Amino acid sequence: MAVATASTATATAPTFGAAASRRWTTPTLVFVALVAIAVAVDPDVPDWLDVGLQTWVRDRYMWTVQNSNTSWLFTGVFNPLSDAIAWCVESVQWVLRGLRYPGVLALTGAIGWMTGGVRAAVSGVLAVLGVAVLGVWDPAMVTLSIMLTAVAIALLIGVPLGIWTARSDRAERVVRTFLDTAQVMPAFVYLIPVTIFFGIRYPPAVVATVVYAVPPAVRLTSLGLRQVPTVMNEVGESFGCTSWQQLVKVQLPMARRTLLLGLNQVIMMAFAIVVIASLLGADDLGNLVLKGLQKNDVGAAFVPGLAIVLLAVALDRITTGERSASSRPPLVRLPSVAWRTGALIGLGTVVVATLVAKVTDHTALPGALTVDISGSINDAVGWVQDNIRKDVPIIGGTESINDVLVADVLEPLREFLVWLPWLLIVVTTAIVAYLSKGWRLAAGCALCLAAIGTMGDIPGGEGGRTQLWDLAMDTLSQVLVAIVVSVAIALPLGIWAGRADRVQRVLRPFLDTAQVMPQFVYLIPVLFLFGAGRGAGVVASVIYAVPPCIRLTSLGLREVPIAPREAAISFGATRRQELVKVQLPLAFRAIMLGINQTILMVLATVIIAALVGAGALGLVAYEGFAKPIQKIGQSAAAGLSIVGLAIVLDRITQAWGTGPDRSRRE
Amino acid sequence: MRGLCSRRMGSPGEGGAVEPMISVRGLWKVYGHRAERIVGSPEADLPRRELEARTGCVVAMRDIDLDVAPGEVFVVMGLSGSGKSTLVRCLTRLIEPTAGTVTIGGVDVTAATDAQLLDIRRHRVSMVFQHFGLLPHRTLVDNVAFGLELQGADKRTRRATAASTLELVGLHGMGASKPHQLSGGQQQRVGLARALATDPDILLFDEPFSALDPLIRREMQDEVIRLRRDVRTTMVFITHDLGEALRLGDRIAIMRDGRFVQVGTPAEVVLEPADDYVRNFVRDVPRSHVVPVAAIMDPLGEGPYAGDVAAETKVRDIVARVAVSEHPLRVVDADGAAVGCVDRIAVLSVIANEDL
Ligand SMILES: Nc1ncnc2c1ncn2[C@@H]1O[C@H](COP(=O)(O)OP(=O)(O)OP(=O)(O)O)[C@@H](O)[C@H]1O
Ligand SMILES: [Mg+2]
Repeated sequence: MAVATASTATATAPTFGAAASRRWTTPTLVFVALVAIAVAVDPDVPDWLDVGLQTWVRDRYMWTVQNSNTSWLFTGVFNPLSDAIAWCVESVQWVLRGLRYPGVLALTGAIGWMTGGVRAAVSGVLAVLGVAVLGVWDPAMVTLSIMLTAVAIALLIGVPLGIWTARSDRAERVVRTFLDTAQVMPAFVYLIPVTIFFGIRYPPAVVATVVYAVPPAVRLTSLGLRQVPTVMNEVGESFGCTSWQQLVKVQLPMARRTLLLGLNQVIMMAFAIVVIASLLGADDLGNLVLKGLQKNDVGAAFVPGLAIVLLAVALDRITTGERSASSRPPLVRLPSVAWRTGALIGLGTVVVATLVAKVTDHTALPGALTVDISGSINDAVGWVQDNIRKDVPIIGGTESINDVLVADVLEPLREFLVWLPWLLIVVTTAIVAYLSKGWRLAAGCALCLAAIGTMGDIPGGEGGRTQLWDLAMDTLSQVLVAIVVSVAIALPLGIWAGRADRVQRVLRPFLDTAQVMPQFVYLIPVLFLFGAGRGAGVVASVIYAVPPCIRLTSLGLREVPIAPREAAISFGATRRQELVKVQLPLAFRAIMLGINQTILMVLATVIIAALVGAGALGLVAYEGFAKPIQKIGQSAAAGLSIVGLAIVLDRITQAWGTGPDRSRRE
Repeated sequence: MRGLCSRRMGSPGEGGAVEPMISVRGLWKVYGHRAERIVGSPEADLPRRELEARTGCVVAMRDIDLDVAPGEVFVVMGLSGSGKSTLVRCLTRLIEPTAGTVTIGGVDVTAATDAQLLDIRRHRVSMVFQHFGLLPHRTLVDNVAFGLELQGADKRTRRATAASTLELVGLHGMGASKPHQLSGGQQQRVGLARALATDPDILLFDEPFSALDPLIRREMQDEVIRLRRDVRTTMVFITHDLGEALRLGDRIAIMRDGRFVQVGTPAEVVLEPADDYVRNFVRDVPRSHVVPVAAIMDPLGEGPYAGDVAAETKVRDIVARVAVSEHPLRVVDADGAAVGCVDRIAVLSVIANEDL
């Protein structure tokens, strides 16, 4: 695949005869020489390559611990910042508590009603009510308050940045590079520096979430403004709008749909990360899940997990009104003149609900109405253990699948990658990168991988020490297997859905729901079925990554313009020929971008799967939060190794997706 | 197949002797849920908006009957949304008609099996599209060879035919370019070449030149006229440009709200519009542009004659000749037999009536 793209990528120059062969001799010679060197030298990462990063980080950390009350950096910058953030979160919490659950329910309903009509209001309220019924109201409100604070901050940063990048191409390029890189990193990676500077509990969680939520805010603001047709801007100018009036009176109103879509994405992104940021010790839903996972107590993890799902659904429903309005009209829609009245009615309902709750002193749902399902879940787990994990006829049970996956696929692949001379892997990656795009990418990827070699080693494993390189190969083996499985499942399904409306209709609700789920919650059912371990991690990654891949493949096929397809059919192309000769080539870029997304999602999940026993880099990175004094150094080293892997995987697959645009102008 | 083509008479539609190349009976296309129930029902005659409100269905084409003789150029014209594209797409079932039959070269397309349908599309009918529909990832040669590729021709023949067809449409030596490197006019030449490459019996055109500027449009029309003259391919040509219709068509069908309001030769349409709708259309057309000399000729007299003129020549084309000569021109039919004569007075009376 890479080869095919590369040959078209170089199509600007003549590719025939002597010129072509000359073009290829230099790279071939260089790479043959590099491969020879790679095989000849030490197959293991040499010890002298260790740049001492781990000690350096630990020293810095110790310094921050000792100086957090004296250095101006903390007393003057980070501590006030942390305090301000904590104050925001606590204020939001105070409001939510003041509203009590009837007030929150009424608020959900009011927002849903105004954005998407009765349907959105009802589904939102039901989902939130579900959270109350599950008996995890307080932690849910903590999650919500962290998220709302983070979203507010992300919008404060993201929208102006987006406006700026929409108006200047230079700014766009610079900001884009940062955002792209920021979004590639698994959330885990941010948690380490963030804890160092912002302490524990709310502030680091908010900051890590903001880092994630700013990019969609910037991107969609910029996109929305840039989509405003030039002629509208000219109309504004011709009537003498100042630049500010132009923005407020023409561009922002016309970009409204995209901006609202952006708000929805920012909220969903923030929600997914907040749940992970609970590793930093906030007493929220994510933390409850984490505790359950660590104790291998599926029932205890399941209840908050379900609450996360319900909250995600509620948030999505009440913030997508505009988007769904186009496809299916809400059952009852407010006439636009009545908007103000609607807002007043909504507000009134919220106030009344809150007052009633206060008077009758309803803080939480009465005990009789809440249900504790963790017991029955654990019974179910017992039943699963007895009945599904083993000795199922034919398929052999989930545990056997897990065993086969680990023993026959993951472990041999890991051993093979560890066995390969490390430089050979670096050189091979560089070759793939060269073929995908060119020398710059090749050099960048080689550097990123080589950097992992400089991270040193950690205690444990055979011989008492394990190179971080070897752990990175462990992670890579899990990522590779998960990618192959995901693509093997998603691509055919995506193609099918892209061509058959009925399949698309059936899959749609699943894909929509899957899209709003934080990856965290996928670990729970997987743990439930497969038990802890690397197999579970791979399965969770696949479950998380398949839906977007299906969605993007299907979308890519559907966006192929009708004209060439119709022409092909008119010349007697069969359905198959239409697919192979027209749709797939024209959707190639879109599908490759889908695969790029898939890879990033797989990586992020494989890292988090460390929490359910997948080990490797994720585990080392995680240990830093638990025992920072002893382990912060190796945690940072693991974090940086993850960054290296992420950049390499992202940039190479992105090159496949952004190669020469073959469908231009058609 | 081409051997079967009859020579065209003055008005081929009336011929009746030869079997038509394309024959359409009672063809309907209704969009919407349970569309069949609308066909032929009283509801079908409701105004569009009312029908849509009541049943959710849209009638794009209703009860079309149509015969196209071999070698004939049949032009369908009408305003946007009148159902022209729907009609031409139903002929090869790119759009599945709701009711009615289409017969092409004796094969009932509407009842054809998948294999028969593919055969018709691959070997007998080619189409040229308004938005070109070129495959952006292929070179011009591979675009033109596309139909041959689907026919299963081997690569050598395919490339050779494609290269020579490209030459035919004036794109010699550009075979290695990609579509996006071409102007709109050139792209449509490729579209035309692709349609010609399979040597079809029937060419379908769906507003092929609408996107082109007037000069290039004229050039392309000349290309079609040349085809009609040299190859005598049967054509169904969709347009919303009356000038184009009058220039190219042997017969013209005027379409409105999914039905034909008039079918006739260019002269019939201009001189005897069936209703106000058509009259509005043709109001600005100078009669001399459409009236053939055959329509105004007098019986043969004694002579002498200033020269011969073919019966289908338009009046305006002989203005100069009658102006410089005292004597009338002799009118001859396709076989060269003299059938009448036309003089200055007859020509002048056509021109004098134009403003009426
Ligand atoms: N898929 C569809 N669903 C519903 N209605 C349709 C569909 N396709 C076409 N129509 C309707 O059928 C009618 C005829 O459409 P058609 O494309 O044949 O018009 P046309 O004469 O080719 O117009 P134009 O000159 O703009 O190409 C239009 O009123 C259109 O709204
Ligand atoms: Mg049309």
